[in-house]
Amino acid sequence: MSISGLSYSPWSPIFWLLASVVVMIMAYFFRRRGQKKYKKDTEQTKIFLCGEEVPEAKQRHIRAHNVYWGFFETMKEYYDANIKAHTGIINDYIIWFLVLIAISAIILFIVGIV
Amino acid sequence: MVVASLAFVEFLVIILARDIYLNGLHIYTLGASSPDLTIPENYIVPVRIILEVDSMSIFMAIISATVSLAAAIYSLSFMKGETGQNRFYTLLLLLVAGMFGMVLTGDLFNLFVFLEIASIAGAALTAFRTKFADTAEGGLKYIVISTVAALMVLFAIGIFYAQYNLINIGALAHVMQYTMLDKIALVLLAIAFMMKLASVPLHMWCPDTYSVAPASITIMLVVASYACLYALFRTCFTLYGVSPDMVTVGWIVITLGMLTMFVGVTMAVFQTDIKRLMAYHCISQTGYMLLGIGVGLAVLNRPEALNTYGIAAMDGGIFHIINNALYKGLLFLTAGALFYRTGTRDLNRMGGLAHKMKWTTIFYIIGALSISGIPPFNGFASKLLIYESVYRFNPILAIVAMITSILTLASFTKAFYSAFMGAELPEYQEVKEVPKSMIAGMAILAAGIIFFSLFPGLVVERLAHPATEALINQGAYISGIMGGGG
Repeated sequence: MSISGLSYSPWSPIFWLLASVVVMIMAYFFRRRGQKKYKKDTEQTKIFLCGEEVPEAKQRHIRAHNVYWGFFETMKEYYDANIKAHTGIINDYIIWFLVLIAISAIILFIVGIV
Repeated sequence: MVVASLAFVEFLVIILARDIYLNGLHIYTLGASSPDLTIPENYIVPVRIILEVDSMSIFMAIISATVSLAAAIYSLSFMKGETGQNRFYTLLLLLVAGMFGMVLTGDLFNLFVFLEIASIAGAALTAFRTKFADTAEGGLKYIVISTVAALMVLFAIGIFYAQYNLINIGALAHVMQYTMLDKIALVLLAIAFMMKLASVPLHMWCPDTYSVAPASITIMLVVASYACLYALFRTCFTLYGVSPDMVTVGWIVITLGMLTMFVGVTMAVFQTDIKRLMAYHCISQTGYMLLGIGVGLAVLNRPEALNTYGIAAMDGGIFHIINNALYKGLLFLTAGALFYRTGTRDLNRMGGLAHKMKWTTIFYIIGALSISGIPPFNGFASKLLIYESVYRFNPILAIVAMITSILTLASFTKAFYSAFMGAELPEYQEVKEVPKSMIAGMAILAAGIIFFSLFPGLVVERLAHPATEALINQGAYISGIMGGGG
């Protein structure tokens, strides 16, 4: 089945959902064969931190600015350049606009001559 | 009253869409004795304001009507505590009128007028909540960039009028000579619309404005920017059509589309303000649309390539517009819901909200999976069309588009973890789910996503592909005007 009658882009969400249901049934089947001693709301379900006291919820939640820290460190130069370009001053936004108009006009002009 | 009128508008748009699908393009000449009398007696050119609605126009009208209805319902509770409700809803309807005018008109000057109407209403609505310090700045930025862009559009219209004594799109396309002045007008129009679209490097106003506007207004601003995308398409395909410059214009659009996609998503991952994060994603997703349409433009002069993959790329780009309006709208509304209950947009201060806001969490998951292109959601269907068709044009472009999609998923995973996951935080012990009207607003868009996810073939066949055909078939649009009445 194709999205737009093309020979490529074969995609049917219905088949995908049917396949997902089959996978979920299989997962449920394997889960039922698992550990029988599990009990809800007992010591078994509490967080274990090498025997240490577990911090309060507020302290153990990793905040947004720490997520992907390594990625941002690696891309530091790229981000510095982008943040520097985004001055927040509207005059600069208009300058970008005028520069892009000029560049596009020059490109069309050159292509027209060639 | 506002919700009822917008629901009625939605109903009328659906009826008109069905009629256009069955019977083709519709013309309505304002002030004429007969609606299809485009050229009055003793005239050789159209002189009145003419509405010309084809499959592309009605496609945009469906998006405008649906998102506006969801926004109005959401606003009932979201804006309840604000003063000046009558002014708010008046401006909201004015913004709707501006968007509809832009996508339904067949006249360039009329397009400029409606662009101004939408811009003024949008800026006023952005700055509406004066109790917040940053809203006035967001509104100011929006009106300044809109006014400068509109000024360039007006310059371009002046160039056409000076040369051809015409301002009707179809009539202008009929006599277009592709002079040097026409090229300058093309650049002015295209870059002005790209400014309103927030295409990189003209994107910087977008996070500044979208992040401070009320959530229901942000989603309408997104759709208003898509009305400018429509204007860009009309300019390139209908006004200029198959001209030698279109290959160059196509490559300019592709280049800006790639930059928009990549810079948008990489800046989004970095954000910790949830609305700025989503605003950058808005920029990024526009890149996909520009890529799909840019490929169509670049091969417009090559029938074989156009039929092999160009039309599919355009189908994908256009399908992505409606998908993005739905899931981006839904995501902005969930961000609004979080702000409504927590009083902050800062992801660093959120956490564990899934325990308290179950509906909002479910809607966020639907929107996030969809925008990230995860099967079986509609975002996957439109991205698949774009990937496969663009790959045939240039594999590197398709690979960058896929990397962008991976970063999109990473970014929304970060926002999901930061806001919703984790143990309940003590400061949000009293937080509860948002009021029913806000849930209803989100539910409308979520229902649209699920429907489009289950039946992507139907949507492409009935909406996106006819819109692509309407764009490519310049002759039909011209004959709608020049061949009518008289």
